[in-house]
Amino acid sequence: MTEFFDWFTHLENTKPFVLVLFFVTFILIVLYVFTGKKRSQRLESYKNIPLNDDEADHHKDLNHE
Amino acid sequence: MKHETIETNVGWLIILTMIVISIGGLVEIIPLYFIKDTIETVKVDGKDTVHPYTPLELRGRDIYMREGCYLCHSQMIRPFRDENIRYGHYSLAAESRYDHPFQWGSKRTGPDLARVGGKYSNEWHLQHLVNPRDVVPESIMPSYPWLTEPLKFNAINDRLKALKATGVPYSQTQEEYQANVERFGKPTADMLDINNAEQNLIDQAQDGNYDGNRNDITEADALIAYLQSLGTMVDFSKFEEGYFAKFR
Amino acid sequence: MANSTAQVEQYNYDIVRKFTIMALVWGVLGMTAGLYIGSELAWPLLNFDIPQITFGRLRPVHTTLVIFGFGGSALFATSYYIVQRTCQTRLFSDGMATFTFWGWQISVGVAAISYMMGYTQAREYAEMVWPIDILIAVTWVAYLVIYVMTLRKRSQPHIYVANWFFIAFILATAILHIFNNLAVPISLFSLTSYSLQAGVQDAMTQWWYGHNAVGFFLTAAFLGMMYYFVPKQAGRPVYSYRLSIIHFWALVFLYMWVGAHHLHWTALPDWTSTLAATFSILLLMPSWGGMINGIMTLSGAWDKLRTDPVIRFLIVALSFYGMSTFEGPLMSLKSVNALSHYTDWTIGHVHSGALGWVAMITFGSLYHLIPRLWETRMYSNKLIYLHFWLATIGIVIYISAMWVAGIGQGLMLRAFDQYGNLAYTFIETVNFLHEPYVARALGGLFFVLGIIVMTFNTFMTIRQGRREQALLEAKLAAKLAQA
Repeated sequence: MTEFFDWFTHLENTKPFVLVLFFVTFILIVLYVFTGKKRSQRLESYKNIPLNDDEADHHKDLNHE
Repeated sequence: MKHETIETNVGWLIILTMIVISIGGLVEIIPLYFIKDTIETVKVDGKDTVHPYTPLELRGRDIYMREGCYLCHSQMIRPFRDENIRYGHYSLAAESRYDHPFQWGSKRTGPDLARVGGKYSNEWHLQHLVNPRDVVPESIMPSYPWLTEPLKFNAINDRLKALKATGVPYSQTQEEYQANVERFGKPTADMLDINNAEQNLIDQAQDGNYDGNRNDITEADALIAYLQSLGTMVDFSKFEEGYFAKFR
Repeated sequence: MANSTAQVEQYNYDIVRKFTIMALVWGVLGMTAGLYIGSELAWPLLNFDIPQITFGRLRPVHTTLVIFGFGGSALFATSYYIVQRTCQTRLFSDGMATFTFWGWQISVGVAAISYMMGYTQAREYAEMVWPIDILIAVTWVAYLVIYVMTLRKRSQPHIYVANWFFIAFILATAILHIFNNLAVPISLFSLTSYSLQAGVQDAMTQWWYGHNAVGFFLTAAFLGMMYYFVPKQAGRPVYSYRLSIIHFWALVFLYMWVGAHHLHWTALPDWTSTLAATFSILLLMPSWGGMINGIMTLSGAWDKLRTDPVIRFLIVALSFYGMSTFEGPLMSLKSVNALSHYTDWTIGHVHSGALGWVAMITFGSLYHLIPRLWETRMYSNKLIYLHFWLATIGIVIYISAMWVAGIGQGLMLRAFDQYGNLAYTFIETVNFLHEPYVARALGGLFFVLGIIVMTFNTFMTIRQGRREQALLEAKLAAKLAQA
């Protein structure tokens, strides 16, 4: 176990390791998020959630009055 | 697994977030416990010269924390020429190994105190604590006249036992005492014996005469004893040039 | 009051109102404490030889009240509001929500008093003694349960991104709080304890906590606030939802690595602080991702800048967020840090984030929230403008003074004369700091006046709301009587 952690303490190992790890994950997320027209549309549709909540309120008000 | 599942499921969101936020801390903190060179070996004639605080110094340190001294004074000299001239040799990790919690600080509204021990006389410290502007006219440090009140030390045994529980080598049994004699030498080992803590505290306060009055034991006694101990445990003249650099 | 009855059934606004009021109360107290300790540095006479109000004891009072009292209460208020609105469901368990309110307020209040009495753990930003730490931990678990259970019973299929930030904030804060506060009490009946870690390991743990308190408490959570209130106030959806996903994951991943940049050139091993510096530079990307997303959302609503003072708070907040997340990576470079560390530059940097970003986004969000919570308009629009200018001018004076103080002192301390001796003694640099400290106190005064104006405006708004409600009820009663 100790050797495993020792490996991390050498900057020449750690730096490339974390850079590659982070970068690959990051690229995968970017690819996922920005590819596919349908997916993009779906994701962007969620941005209206905060703006839609007033409508819900509004309906309630109308029902009561 | 699709990202959509994560977005719509709180459980997955929590698990993945936990993984993502844990990595950084794990990689940076855990190795510090395993790498031997993190804390330097400081031995002179086979004895560790960096030792835990004596009961009186410990109470002084408690007061240092109570008054929030660490908010304006650092205890961490960096390896720069100006700091070397102003404060002394750069601080070693070993020198704060018994500091629960560490007092490195983050701001120098006042000067660094890592090696203040022995720099000024006890009288200077007392005057400076009671009214800093008596000795340094431009000082902006608050005055601490209440430090001349009697020191409370009835819980000193509990304090040492709590620290022992965190791993500080204070001794309770005969074996532990012997181990300390091996490690630090007899005079130091005697001061680290929890069974004699109260007497040790009283003796040190009276022998040291930190506040200029042998009859009472005040908070100033404890605080000045602590300040005078800072940075004095490593005698750098006993080590070869570059010895400590190899740990960095 | 048909309207309000319907809302009482739909959402739990009562808890949001309580936390909103306490955010302002702690804000006024905490910022006043800050103004006072800042003045103590300019005029040490103000310590008055009274133990309870010396700088060393009041400074944790200031940081605790503004971070946990003001910031924390504002986050509880807005997160409870946002999670209900974006999930279109009522908050899970009113009883637990009330428990989080009292648990949090008691923790903050008792902590402040205990510091003045001299009870502290002496860990920066985590000074609370161990019994308070336990109360906070319990309160926090209740908060997590409420939040998760509310998300689970939402009527929307998707979890809106603001809630992601709040979830990350709650989880990270829990981990940080627990691990940083591990300690051994000297007895069950004593408030005193000694931390479990010592020296190097303790320093690393403390700054892993300290910087991520900034990262998750003061950044991620306030980004959650931003992702709801900026679109709402601008009346248009967030610029890019996909960008928000990317910068969320990048931000929560990167932040946890950077704490060690507070320990450059110390006895902490070099590999750790270098790693932290590298990640600090990388962190610029997700930080600016959030800023760009916010500013682009507002960019279609520039015309509102002239008519809507709330938008001004939001745009200034985002600008300061961008500025301080650029300054941060700069200061994490080891060469810059050699000068800036231990000086007032750090204090200035913290405040450009804390006043410019955290407080300004909070003010903007609360100005949006308050009229809706008490079902009326803000009492005075002019006072909002006044607050805006007081706050903005205050921040600019504050930060400029701290740049002068920090860079000036840093340069003086490392200056040598022609013979290779130190050019200045330490006390000469303290002398130099007097004027910047006076200017800083002035900047702080402006900012404190600003929040006092806001509190007055809020008080009058609540009174106005109650009066309007009473009037409506009277009318309704009259109508019923006639019929």
